[in-house]
Amino acid sequence: MAFSQANNAEPYRAAQNELMTRLFARQPDVKLVIGDAQQDNSKQVAQVETFIRQKPDLLIVAPNERAALTAVMGQAMEAKIPVICLERDILEPNYTSYVHSDNLTIGRMAGEFIVEQLRKKYGAPKGNVVAMRGLLGVEGEIHRDKGAREVFARYPDVRIVADPVADWIQAKAKDRMTEVLRAQPRIDAVYGHNDPMAVGAYLAARELGRDKEMIFVGVDGLGGEAGGIRKVMDGILSATFVYPLCVDKAVETGLRILREPGFRPGKEYSIAPTLVTAANAAQLYSQ
Amino acid sequence: MLQARGIHKHYGGVHALKGVSFDLRPGEVHALVGENGAGKSTLARILAGSTRADGGTILRDGREARIASPRDAQRLGIGIIYQELDLFPNLTAGENIVAGNLHFREGALVRFGEMERFCRPFLAQAGLHCAVDTPAGRLSIGQQQMLAIARALSMDARILLMDEPTSSLFDDAAERLFELIAGLKRRGVSVVYVSHKMDEIFRIAERATVLRDGETVGTVDIASTSVETIIRMMVGRDVAIANRARRAPAGEVALEVEGLTTEKLRGISFAVRRGEVLGIAGLVGSGRSELGAALAGLDRARSGSIRARGGIGLVPEDRRAEGLMMQMSVIENGTMAVLPRVSRGGFIARAEERRMLDPVAARLALRCPSRGAPVSRLSGGNQQKVLLARWLLVNPDILFLDDPARGIDIGAKQDIYRMIEELADAGKAILLVSSELPELLRLSDRVLVLHEGRVAARYDAGEATPEKIMAAATAASAAEARPQ
Amino acid sequence: MNFAKFAAVPKSLLALAGIVLLAIAISPVAGDGSRIFLEIGNLTDILRQVSLIGIISLAMTLVILTGGIDLSVGSVLALATSITAMWLTRGYTHSMAVAIAVAAAACALAGAANGLVIAFSGIQPFIVTLASMIGVRGLAKWLTNNQNIDIGFGRDLAAQFAAVFRQKALVIGSYAIAAAVFWTLLARTVFGRHVRATGDNEKAAIYAGLPVRSTKVWVYTLAGLLSGFAGVLYAAENHQGNPNAGAAYELDAIAAVVIGGTPLSGGRGSISGTIVGTLIMGVLTNMLRLNNVDSNVEMMIKAVIIVLAVAVQRGKGGSGA
Repeated sequence: MAFSQANNAEPYRAAQNELMTRLFARQPDVKLVIGDAQQDNSKQVAQVETFIRQKPDLLIVAPNERAALTAVMGQAMEAKIPVICLERDILEPNYTSYVHSDNLTIGRMAGEFIVEQLRKKYGAPKGNVVAMRGLLGVEGEIHRDKGAREVFARYPDVRIVADPVADWIQAKAKDRMTEVLRAQPRIDAVYGHNDPMAVGAYLAARELGRDKEMIFVGVDGLGGEAGGIRKVMDGILSATFVYPLCVDKAVETGLRILREPGFRPGKEYSIAPTLVTAANAAQLYSQ
Repeated sequence: MLQARGIHKHYGGVHALKGVSFDLRPGEVHALVGENGAGKSTLARILAGSTRADGGTILRDGREARIASPRDAQRLGIGIIYQELDLFPNLTAGENIVAGNLHFREGALVRFGEMERFCRPFLAQAGLHCAVDTPAGRLSIGQQQMLAIARALSMDARILLMDEPTSSLFDDAAERLFELIAGLKRRGVSVVYVSHKMDEIFRIAERATVLRDGETVGTVDIASTSVETIIRMMVGRDVAIANRARRAPAGEVALEVEGLTTEKLRGISFAVRRGEVLGIAGLVGSGRSELGAALAGLDRARSGSIRARGGIGLVPEDRRAEGLMMQMSVIENGTMAVLPRVSRGGFIARAEERRMLDPVAARLALRCPSRGAPVSRLSGGNQQKVLLARWLLVNPDILFLDDPARGIDIGAKQDIYRMIEELADAGKAILLVSSELPELLRLSDRVLVLHEGRVAARYDAGEATPEKIMAAATAASAAEARPQ
Repeated sequence: MNFAKFAAVPKSLLALAGIVLLAIAISPVAGDGSRIFLEIGNLTDILRQVSLIGIISLAMTLVILTGGIDLSVGSVLALATSITAMWLTRGYTHSMAVAIAVAAAACALAGAANGLVIAFSGIQPFIVTLASMIGVRGLAKWLTNNQNIDIGFGRDLAAQFAAVFRQKALVIGSYAIAAAVFWTLLARTVFGRHVRATGDNEKAAIYAGLPVRSTKVWVYTLAGLLSGFAGVLYAAENHQGNPNAGAAYELDAIAAVVIGGTPLSGGRGSISGTIVGTLIMGVLTNMLRLNNVDSNVEMMIKAVIIVLAVAVQRGKGGSGA
């Protein structure tokens, strides 16, 4: 078993490695080798080439960039090595199976969560929503925004009354929310494209004594003292969404490829993001 | 050849030119004279296209000409040599000549061979013997001026404007410039010579147009006029040029320098007494300014000793670059070095500050729009007075004045000469550097001539002549002329 | 008093007045028919929002007046937020004053280090403070292990600190006091005179025997100290120590100074101008956001305003001879 990781430095990537090591450790007959490409395309290509020579029974690749890794993963397929592509897409389907999640789904889930809360509040899906946007033009911002808008568009009484840009930054979100609060007499929900911006909006509302008037929803759901899950536990955020590590499904699929001769894995598995609310926050936090 | 009629120019609220007229004939050297602030440099800049007039007409060979940019002037065959030479110090001599030159077609690539062929004859005409690839910044001031002239010639200038070209030159370089001007004249080039130095004007110019306060006072033929006439036209009154009454310096020794050696100075020894003016002569680069820096403690002495009784004040050579804060006010500049005396607990007592400056300003006959005006709005002479006022307030026992009357008008020069004499009479020891030998001889009790960092000669006032000083300042094998 | 200093202010004030009138004209209207822009709450929001950049730009004015620049102010602010939050939440002290003092002292020290290197090495301020912008950011991230340190809403020391120092009146009041102190410092003291003299003509200042080096060390130390104080306020307002805080704050502060009529070459300028420059940016942002103007358009409008504000003031003072 070989796993080529794009980089080990980011917390998200580190969490992936940690989980994968833990899951494979339960299988005494499987030996896992993890390579760190240090965010460098050519290093990762060389690393995959080396893995191909070692002929592992299964290769998992978390590509650093799409175009750079497409060809070398094709070589692995030609060498009859089953390849699982983790989380990031490549240009050609040079993999046995592709396991991923996506921000569009997160956007949709956030939108539906907010609509659901509005329905509970008013008995019908209606209300005023503020979208606190991240740095424009970035993939995460585009899809988290688009997914939610798709949902709201289905309910004519749910209106986005303001969508200021706060560049992912909490302090900026607080300033932008202050202005929105001045201009908007009634706000029911704030959808922050990340948790810090949702918290910034909360601080602004709290200062004006309006934090009870609306709910705050974020995205990211990082663990730790300053992470979003903690904010849900503290009652600041109503919900946040964890972008999944995707490792569970990859490991499960990989093991079935190894163990079940007749198993034909799906070409693509999309993993649903985890909704974090007060109900499951404490449990997730302890993980 | 070139006529200007009724030229007007305003700078903010200042009416700098009030309908000035001027007429240049082919092949003549025409002096444009006037005190600083009279408008002569402004007129030259308008003719060269670097400043635009607010009104009036310019005729070139009788046809009305529009000069809106230096490029227009170039097309009309008008070139200018600015006082503060507008060269690119980090570009080579050749690059300086071809930059923006309409007569040298530049492609996308630099063609060094062609540049060399193009520049050579003009460098030779200007009398500059240097490689085309020498960086302009490495040339001496005199050579840079030649380069600027070569550049103007290469632009096919038939009319050459020169704005106070000798203000930064010592006499020998000025001499070469005069020869060059004579040569240009023979070739039919007309020269407009902006200056207020009477000896130069009488030497090279055929006619002179005098400006005063932005107006044309008149144009005179030099051959049939006197220095006094022109000075009277310039200042609007009679100016007495009197020599200082000689006194025997009676005071004790205030400053004694022995074997002073720095990076630029080699074993300088001399003494100055209280009440004495020691003139310091030498070419630019001879070490005369460096002596001031060493005395003021700005340059480290490698060996030798400086024994001073009292503080040393240094009025630097370049008042804009080293002396004044141009954007700050007259009063702020004046009290700059004595702020502790007008402040309490770090706070400036501004009424006191003003009370302190006023008498000194009056003594110097300082003229300015207001005490709060930035010094950049003052004439050169008044700027120099502000700088002197700063040091008069400090009131050091020893003053090093580095060319204090350079490039300022006659009236202000007289005020500064008078000030120097008063200071000496009051018992100050004064070291006076000057590029102008008549000035130096007039004010000094003794003269020290420097050459390449060494003392080349010493003279008493009585025995010094311009010729002797010149010889000592330029002699290659300078030896101590005689012991003190 | 400097003539140019008086001349620069009315023009930028005019620009501010124009923007305020525009903001009133296009302000959205509240339910009772009043203009939201003019609500006391909104006007004080503006003051509060500009206070941190405002405080930093006061010291930045002095730095730029000496002919220097300080790019490290944003990183220093982040350092202050981190230190303040660490000291308060991790029980290093039981006194708010100690936590604030530690943060401010560390930042003043960082500023002094800038000043000492600039004054004694002759390396350009841009380079020195570019280096410390990187280095101090690294220090803040290293201290915090690259994690935000959150301040909660409970009854602990950190929460009490946030409750006190996030108060609008305290933040705006701090800015007002700092502005008054810096105005006095520049216009009335020997130090202020030395600051302008150094920027106007450093060589002449040396020839006149002014303490050029210590003046430089002091202006950068003040820049560090004020950035640190702004960081303390940031930590309270945002309930967190954030090693990534203050990104691009140096540019906002420089913009405020320049819009206020102080040229980057130094020598000429005023605290009052900088305050006006800060308010112009604040009112502009508020006006555009209240009207929910597209944020891309907002950036373009700001770009035009910066150039216009500086262009209007050009040609004042300068060398007229």
